[in-house]
Amino acid sequence: MSADTDTSALDVQGYSLRYRSADGQFDALKSIDLTVRRGRTLGLVGESGSGKTSLAWAIMRYLPANLQELSGTLLLAGEDLRTKTTRQILEIRGARVSMVFQDPSTSLNPIMRLGDQLAEVLIRHRGLSARAAFEEGTALLARTGIRSPAEMMRRYPHQASGGEKQRVVIATAIACNPDLIIFDEPTTALDIVTARQILDLFTTLREETGVAALYISHDLGLVSRIAHEVAVIHQGEIVEHGPCAEVFRAPRRAYTRALLAAVPDPAHRIGTPPPDPATPPLLTLANINVRYGELPWLLRLLRPGQAVVQGARNVSFDVRPGELVGVVGESGSGKSTIAKVLAGLQEFSGSVTFAGQRYQGRRAFDRAYRHAVQIVFQNPDASLNPRQTVATILSRPLKLYGTVPPLRIPARIAELLARVRLPAQFATRYPHQLSGGEKQRVAIARAFAAEPKLVICDEITSSLDVSVQASVAELLVELQRETGTACVFITHDLNLVRQLAHRIAVMQHGELVDLFDTADATLPDRAAYTRTLLDAVPTLARIENGVVP
Amino acid sequence: MRELLRSPAGLVGTCLLLLVGAMMVLGPLLAPYDPQSFHPRARLQGPSLAHLLGTDQFGRDLLSRLLHGARNTVAFGLGATALGVIIGSIIGVTAGVIGGWIDSAIMRVLDGLLAVPDLLFTLLIVTMLGAGMGYAMLAVSVAFTPGMARIARSAVLSIRTREYVLAAIARGESWGWIIGREVLPNAIGPIVVEATIRVSFAMMIGATLGFLGLGAQPPSTEWGLMVAEARQFMFRSPWCVAVPGVAIALAALGFNLFGDALRDSFDPRRRLR
Amino acid sequence: MTPGYLARRLAAVLLVLLVVSFAVFAITMILPGNAAVMILGEYATPDQLAAVSERLGLNRPWSVQYLDWLGGMFRGDWGMSLRLSLPVAGLIASAFANSAMLAATALVTVTVIAIPLGIAAAVKRGTRADLAIGLLAYIGTSMPEFVTATLLIVFLAGPESGLFPAGGFVSPLEDFWGFVAHVMLPAGTLSLVLTAHIARQTRSEMADVLASDYVRAARLKGLAEPAVLRRHALPNALAPTIAVISLDIGYLLGGIIVVEEIFAWPGLGRLLIYALENRDLPVIMGVTLVLAMVYATSNLISDLVIAIIDPRVRYA
Repeated sequence: MSADTDTSALDVQGYSLRYRSADGQFDALKSIDLTVRRGRTLGLVGESGSGKTSLAWAIMRYLPANLQELSGTLLLAGEDLRTKTTRQILEIRGARVSMVFQDPSTSLNPIMRLGDQLAEVLIRHRGLSARAAFEEGTALLARTGIRSPAEMMRRYPHQASGGEKQRVVIATAIACNPDLIIFDEPTTALDIVTARQILDLFTTLREETGVAALYISHDLGLVSRIAHEVAVIHQGEIVEHGPCAEVFRAPRRAYTRALLAAVPDPAHRIGTPPPDPATPPLLTLANINVRYGELPWLLRLLRPGQAVVQGARNVSFDVRPGELVGVVGESGSGKSTIAKVLAGLQEFSGSVTFAGQRYQGRRAFDRAYRHAVQIVFQNPDASLNPRQTVATILSRPLKLYGTVPPLRIPARIAELLARVRLPAQFATRYPHQLSGGEKQRVAIARAFAAEPKLVICDEITSSLDVSVQASVAELLVELQRETGTACVFITHDLNLVRQLAHRIAVMQHGELVDLFDTADATLPDRAAYTRTLLDAVPTLARIENGVVP
Repeated sequence: MRELLRSPAGLVGTCLLLLVGAMMVLGPLLAPYDPQSFHPRARLQGPSLAHLLGTDQFGRDLLSRLLHGARNTVAFGLGATALGVIIGSIIGVTAGVIGGWIDSAIMRVLDGLLAVPDLLFTLLIVTMLGAGMGYAMLAVSVAFTPGMARIARSAVLSIRTREYVLAAIARGESWGWIIGREVLPNAIGPIVVEATIRVSFAMMIGATLGFLGLGAQPPSTEWGLMVAEARQFMFRSPWCVAVPGVAIALAALGFNLFGDALRDSFDPRRRLR
Repeated sequence: MTPGYLARRLAAVLLVLLVVSFAVFAITMILPGNAAVMILGEYATPDQLAAVSERLGLNRPWSVQYLDWLGGMFRGDWGMSLRLSLPVAGLIASAFANSAMLAATALVTVTVIAIPLGIAAAVKRGTRADLAIGLLAYIGTSMPEFVTATLLIVFLAGPESGLFPAGGFVSPLEDFWGFVAHVMLPAGTLSLVLTAHIARQTRSEMADVLASDYVRAARLKGLAEPAVLRRHALPNALAPTIAVISLDIGYLLGGIIVVEEIFAWPGLGRLLIYALENRDLPVIMGVTLVLAMVYATSNLISDLVIAIIDPRVRYA
């Protein structure tokens, strides 16, 4: 870096922010001190509700009326943003400090050409003519790695992929050579491989432009790869702040240590011992095919133009008793289709053999199958009926399958809650009175209440905070150890699945492209796509090997 | 409920509905005069101590007629809506739950019926059945059916794909349990909201039919008919048309405000605005 | 816009009209007393009735009658009015022109007033202006047309004030200012409820757009608020607002029936009420079908306009 590394692009001193609502007030940010030096990247890590996004809004001077600034200064290249007039702020936003948002599909205007949205900033802040702005915009898009930038300029957002859209947003952010760019979880809404490309783009552009960046994320592994310094924020306070390597190697605060411990590390296995390979499989999928949007001829007349999509193509694999098979893939890979097929929610062709019984088609699944195979969904907010208490939710499988006599049901519910480490008085609560992790525990308890032989876990950790993810995964393994239940664990998180699974199936475009023992994950003879996925995932391990950026 | 009263719209709406409810229940008891008795010497009077809201062309006390008419007008709206909501919800829920070609066919027919304005639809049916309150009520409810069916169907469709419903299907629950315990309790919100707002429409259409001579028949105290009967004298005594007219508007306003407040209380996203 | 999209929309309109025509036909079939009774009156002898039924083809199966009637509609032969002894097509044509003038006046008024009101309310959310517009909207949607019309007549067309004529129609080709005077009250009546509804819907669409991520992104680009509104918010709020207006045309068509009757405006609504009172079946069927056609066509036009505004629809 050049000599001006020691002058700061952003300097936040003693900044406090209070949130007021009809139900009272709480301090969103408590005396925050942060510095982002020129040309450097500060990773701001925190879980949801930690206040990390509030800080971004404060720097952008975009605070809703119910947020009140209590104290502190926000210095952008030495100038206090808090003393600027509205007019001055408009000159600064987008020009001297810009922002890249989480989801490019909502942060771009859907009815405006991508080029116009990019050129807008150049016209506004650099005073270019429309023609010059278009040319400059095209050049910027080329720098972000878009292959035919002039054509992309003329497209609408819905005609571009998620990665392309995020490149446009990044091009807009760097367009005016800002002092600081705030990245607010810019890869969270993207697929693994795309996210990796965007991260690479980020590091390249940082080298080229020497811009300072505040990178907000919940993902410690990711931050460890791209940031120079890291600040950990928890309940509105910076609990740890320092050079990346230092913080990750020797965290001083318990919260940071807990966060680090929660990051899935493939080298650290928590799964059950592998089942005997000689045991006959519990579940066998043979040539499963799923086609979406296929209509009978009459409906095709009524709803023309509906495309047929192949959800799964000739998928075959098996699961042994007590085994945990991970199914990995990006969105649209067909991994959730497999979950739906197994849960009897999706029509399919091919056959599912379970406990010696062969089922061809969704309607063939009988009561015995539905009893023995249970599913846990991704989002516990959606998978628990908001109008039923926890007790009602847990009693359903007990009553439906008659697993315990009616009089024993309340006692059994208490047992189940204890097994998923929830207090017994939760039985009378409604889902909205529980946190995300607690809800997911209830959903897991519901699945295990049926005393199943196989549990399908469809992305059960991906809507949870990092620290909660780890505990939910550990809970699942523990239940597996106690009950010997087999599990199909569907996820996009390769690090996590390598900790849990005995075997891993990789899916792409509806096809099973790879299936291997977890221990063989890094062998060179893996399928090309598997290697791409593995390379794309940020792990903490690299930093301990000294690969600090 | 407390949420409802917190917003000004909810508060005013609730008050208006309480007023209308009181008029329906207690109206005839509170009325100072017989609504049908003629007072030839007190025709077309303005408000006075003897007649708080004045008198009509036959000298009948307007306040008494208004109090008696509440039952006709509001009960008409409630009855017609209830009937329309029940029929419509059954059709909509069935279509939404069954899906497939039956759903498509039902929806295309409903689309066609929705292309006929409510009032026109009602007029056609009333002509077919004959004038009178009962038939008019039936006509309004039939006219409401397609719209309610649409709303019920979309409520069901949005809930049908929720994961707790999928979980119930995956568990192998019976259709009765899935519809009765998982789908309906969660779909009822939008249906109730729409129904509340529609009561005001039904009342207005009912009054319009009365006004056109196709609904309530003289000497009924239905408010729309009161406006129609007083129209001949409206320049001499604007009170006669204004009193029942404003009464209809206030009752409709009550249902509109209450319905909107109800919707906001169901939708936390809107409540935050 | 792809030809496929256009074809799909057209097919949907035709399907709607087919359903409506069948529904209307079904209602006339269920009506107590057939056309023969209506022509001859209640005291006709059975022989006379049989003869007239034979001549009108009422003895044929209903499916044949329906197809015959439908075929006639396509050929422009809409039958004869049973009471007026005039061709239905001609009656409807002149009434349609008069109604169109009234509806167009109301619609233009509404669009010019309601959309800016709704936008203003959304932009100034929570202020007194917003509250006032909201209140106005509630009152507007709670007044049946006949009440508004009667009150307008009482206060603006009474013997004392006499600002406007209380009813009647003057062709704009003969006396333009006379037409304006006559159209004011009926168009005003129709406008009140529609303005209220559209302003409210526009406010809610605009509020959604203003709370969107892309509007926030536009603000964080440093664009000034007027530019954010003009370039980002308004174009996005426009498409749903047009959809609302096209749906409200159905309401307008219902309102026209009442308003024309009250203001003695010789349009489709008045013709319909006359036909209903006299059970003039061919006229009832014709008017109903025309009204449904207008509604379906206006929905089609709004879909096409939305497709022009919104590239997601256009390239669908």
